[in-house]
Amino acid sequence: MIKVQNLRKVFRVHKKPPGLSASLKSLFRRDWIEKVAVEGADFTVEEGEIVGLIGANGAGKTTLVKMLSGIIHPSAGEARVLGYNPWEKQDAFRRQISLIMGQKAQLWWDLPGADCFQLLREIYQIPQQQFDHQLNRLTQLLNVGEELNIQIRRLSLGERMKMELIAALLHSPRVVYLDEPTIGLDITTQKAVRDFLLSYRKEESPAMILTSHYMEDIERLCERIIIIREGELIYDGSLRKVIEQYAPYKRLTLHLQNQTLDESSKEIFSKMGEKVKIQSDQVSIQVPRTNVTEVAAELLRRFKIHDLSIDEPEISDTIEILMGGKDFRQE
Amino acid sequence: MRYLRLYGQFLKFSFSRSLEYRLDFWFRIIMDCVFYLVEISIFLVLYQHTDLLGGWSLDQTLVFVCGYLVVDAVHMTVFSSNMWWLPIYVNKGDLDYYLVRPVSSLFFLSLRDFAANSFLNLIIAAGLLVWSILRLPGEISAVNLFWYLFLLGNGVVVHYTMQMFFEIPVFWLHTNRGLLNAFFSSTKLGERPDAIYPTWTRRILLTVIPFLLIAAVPARVFFEGPSIELISLSLGVSAIMFLLMVAFWKLALRSYSSASS
Repeated sequence: MIKVQNLRKVFRVHKKPPGLSASLKSLFRRDWIEKVAVEGADFTVEEGEIVGLIGANGAGKTTLVKMLSGIIHPSAGEARVLGYNPWEKQDAFRRQISLIMGQKAQLWWDLPGADCFQLLREIYQIPQQQFDHQLNRLTQLLNVGEELNIQIRRLSLGERMKMELIAALLHSPRVVYLDEPTIGLDITTQKAVRDFLLSYRKEESPAMILTSHYMEDIERLCERIIIIREGELIYDGSLRKVIEQYAPYKRLTLHLQNQTLDESSKEIFSKMGEKVKIQSDQVSIQVPRTNVTEVAAELLRRFKIHDLSIDEPEISDTIEILMGGKDFRQE
Repeated sequence: MRYLRLYGQFLKFSFSRSLEYRLDFWFRIIMDCVFYLVEISIFLVLYQHTDLLGGWSLDQTLVFVCGYLVVDAVHMTVFSSNMWWLPIYVNKGDLDYYLVRPVSSLFFLSLRDFAANSFLNLIIAAGLLVWSILRLPGEISAVNLFWYLFLLGNGVVVHYTMQMFFEIPVFWLHTNRGLLNAFFSSTKLGERPDAIYPTWTRRILLTVIPFLLIAAVPARVFFEGPSIELISLSLGVSAIMFLLMVAFWKLALRSYSSASS
C-alpha cells in the first residue's frame, strides 16, 4: 500500500548570527545552509499494518509523513501510496487517505462536530447512508455521542481529539497517518484512543503510520517500528527484535539471604557490571549481554542468594540509545 | 455542482459563526459605510470645481464609483477573510489539512470563509448603485445595463486574481505585508475614471495590472454601449490572469514547506 524508495528532503535554511548588525547585513547578503530532514528513506507498509515511526524531535518523522500525504514535495526519490504519487495530489488519492496531527486542529473551532462532519461528507462525497452508519459507529466506539452538538472550542482536549479522529475516519480511508495523536492527553483518554485505533484497525484494516513520543502508544499499537535519526532510517523491524539486536546489556536482580553488604562486596558488584543499585537486601546491576551467564555464576558462588532474575532492558531505553536522544518519554 | 453544494455549506457555517460575534458584526458594517461615504464625498467635492472628469459627468462618475463599491463589497464578503488568513496559514503550516482534502485547495482557501457580517454592506452598496443609476438623465438601455453588471462580475474576478498575485509570494517570502500594502495602494488606480490616465499608463492599467477592468471599463461600456473591443479585452485579460494565477499557485504549493510540529 505504501512503497518508499530513496526518499530525500532537504530544506534550505537562512543562517543568521545574533545581533542587530547581523540583521542589517542579512538585508543585503544571506548565508544559507542545507538541512537534510529525510535522507534516503526506503520501506514498505502493507494493508492492516501499523508501523511506528520513532525518532527524537527534529529527526524527520513529520516531514516523512507530510511527504507521504502529499503536503510537501521531496527533493529526490520516489513514493507510491495506493499506487499514486502523493505529491501529484490527485483527488482519487486524497479521498483514500487521512492525516491526524495531535498538535493541529482540523475542525472548525466555532462549530459543533456534527456541522463539521456534514462539511466533510460533502468534501469526500460520502453517501448519506454510509455517512450515518460510520458516524454512528465511530461516536459509539469513542463514546462521544452527547458531545456531537457542542461547539468544538467548548470541548475538553480529549473530547476534541476524539472528534478529530472521527473527522479523519468518516470516509473510511485505506491509509491513515497519525502524527502524535495522543500528545497532551490524560492517561485514560490516551488508552481510549489506543483501544479505538486497535478496534478500527481490526475492522477496516487500513495501513497506518504512527509517530509518537509515548512508548505506551508504540508498544500497544505497533508490531513493527522504524527508527529515524537525523533523517536516516536506522532500524526497520519488529519491536521485540530491536532489543535482541541492539540492547547491549541485561539487568540482573539478586535478593540476598540475610546478608549485609560491606564495601568489598560493593566493589565486586561494580567490577561485574554498571549502574549498580543496592536497596537493603536487593541488588540490581546492568551486565553486558555476552557476560550474563558468567557473571550470574560468579555471583551465585560468592554470595548466598535467595532469588536471582535476568531481565531484558526496557524497550524505551534501547530505542533511546538508538535514537541518540533523550526525549523518549515513558508513562 | 459538487462545488456549489460545498459553497452552500461554507455559507451556512459562515453565517452561524458570524452571528456568534455580534459586536464585530455591527462594527464592520459601520466601518464599511464610512468607507462608502468617503469614496462618494471625494467626487462630490471634485465636481464642485469641474463639470467633467475624464469625460464623465457627476452622475456618470457616481455610477462608476458605486459600481466599484459593489465590487469591493462582493470582494469583502466573499474573499477578504480568506485572503487575510492565507499568509498566516502558510507560515504556521495550517495549510496542511487543506492540501490533503479531495477538493481544489485554491477553491477551499479562497472561499471557505464567507464574511456574513459584510453581507449587509453588499446590500447597502447595491442600493447605492441602484440610486446612482436612477439619477442618470435619459433612458437606460437594458443591453447596456446587462453588460455593465456582467463586466462588474468580471471585475470581481480581476480584483480577486490581482490580490492573489500579491498574496502567493508569501510561500517564498514568509511575510507579504509590504506586497499587500502595495496591492491596496495600487487598487486606488482603479477607483478613478480610465480616461484621466495618459495613453501608456492606461494601456498598462488595462492589461499588465488591469485595475481599470474592475469598474472603469464596465462603466464605459454602460455609458457608450457594448464594444466588442472592450468586452473582449476585459474577458481575455481576466481569463489569462486567472490561468496565470492558478499556475503560480501550483508552483507555490511545490515550495510549501509546512511548519515543524
